[in-house]
Amino acid sequence: MKIKIMSLYVDDQDKALRFYTEVLGFAKKTDFSQGPYRWLTLVSPEDPDGTELQLALNNNPAAQTYQQAMFQQSQPAAMFFTNDIKADFERIKARGAEFTMPPTDVTASIIAMLKDTCGNLIQLTQLKRY
Amino acid sequence: MTDRAQYTPGPAGGARIEKEPVQGSEDKWTLVLVRELRHSPEKVWQALTDPAHLREWAPFEADGSLARVGTTVKLTTVAAPTPQVSETRVTRADAPKALEYNWGGFDIRWELEGFRGGTRLTLWHNINRRFISMGAAGWHICLDVLDHLLGGNPIGRIVGGDAMKFDWQRLNVEYAKQFGIEAPSWPPKAAQKS
Repeated sequence: MKIKIMSLYVDDQDKALRFYTEVLGFAKKTDFSQGPYRWLTLVSPEDPDGTELQLALNNNPAAQTYQQAMFQQSQPAAMFFTNDIKADFERIKARGAEFTMPPTDVTASIIAMLKDTCGNLIQLTQLKRY
Repeated sequence: MTDRAQYTPGPAGGARIEKEPVQGSEDKWTLVLVRELRHSPEKVWQALTDPAHLREWAPFEADGSLARVGTTVKLTTVAAPTPQVSETRVTRADAPKALEYNWGGFDIRWELEGFRGGTRLTLWHNINRRFISMGAAGWHICLDVLDHLLGGNPIGRIVGGDAMKFDWQRLNVEYAKQFGIEAPSWPPKAAQKS
């Protein structure tokens, strides 16, 4: 058994695909459709066979309620790890993303938070070495 | 050998794309599929609207009849990777001529015309343009299965992963070529830039 995929609700899959590839820099892995259903996943180009992120449409009331509540309470819907949070912060900001928190020192890590334009907050994390 | 094991879809055909300009956005594409069936419009109408018949060929389950305008019916996409239920409202039901409803945000329109003692059936489906050849391939197989059902020789629904065993990939490529678009790759290969 492996941890292979994580799902994230988004309000628009086309818009989400653009943001997660063009702004964040991930790569599309699978994209297919069955009737109204669309299965869309991404990977990091640094780890193309690694864990995938599914961009799932929030087309049910439970998903919408959950997503909105998490956002209003400033809870990240996903967390991505980086080895250079300052560089990623500058790169992503330069491509137009809105950060709600710049790189900030916390226990054992430096974190930053940004809006994904699809209803979520995303946290970037760089672990500190002691 | 059962009839299902012997079934192989014929070449892609009978499909086209209608393109409608949308101001400030990409064109709206609608898949149009035409199929001639050797059965009466009344019989075809029943297969399009009755849940027990839909279960034998359609890519969704309906929890009620689609035969009356204004009714609300839940459509469950069969064999989707996660459960996918959408509520639909029948917006047109002129038996046995025209049927319209929405499937998960996409409009579906069926028209039935008497034709040489049978029915010329036309489907309009404004599927996401990225998946239009996939949709054409899926409907092609579904309509073949419908034809078997109407002929009193049901071979059982072929949707989702099952369709892979029945040349769905070939049809996807053939329809993409006919439409002049690039076939969406399936099964997925390596990670690709969007």
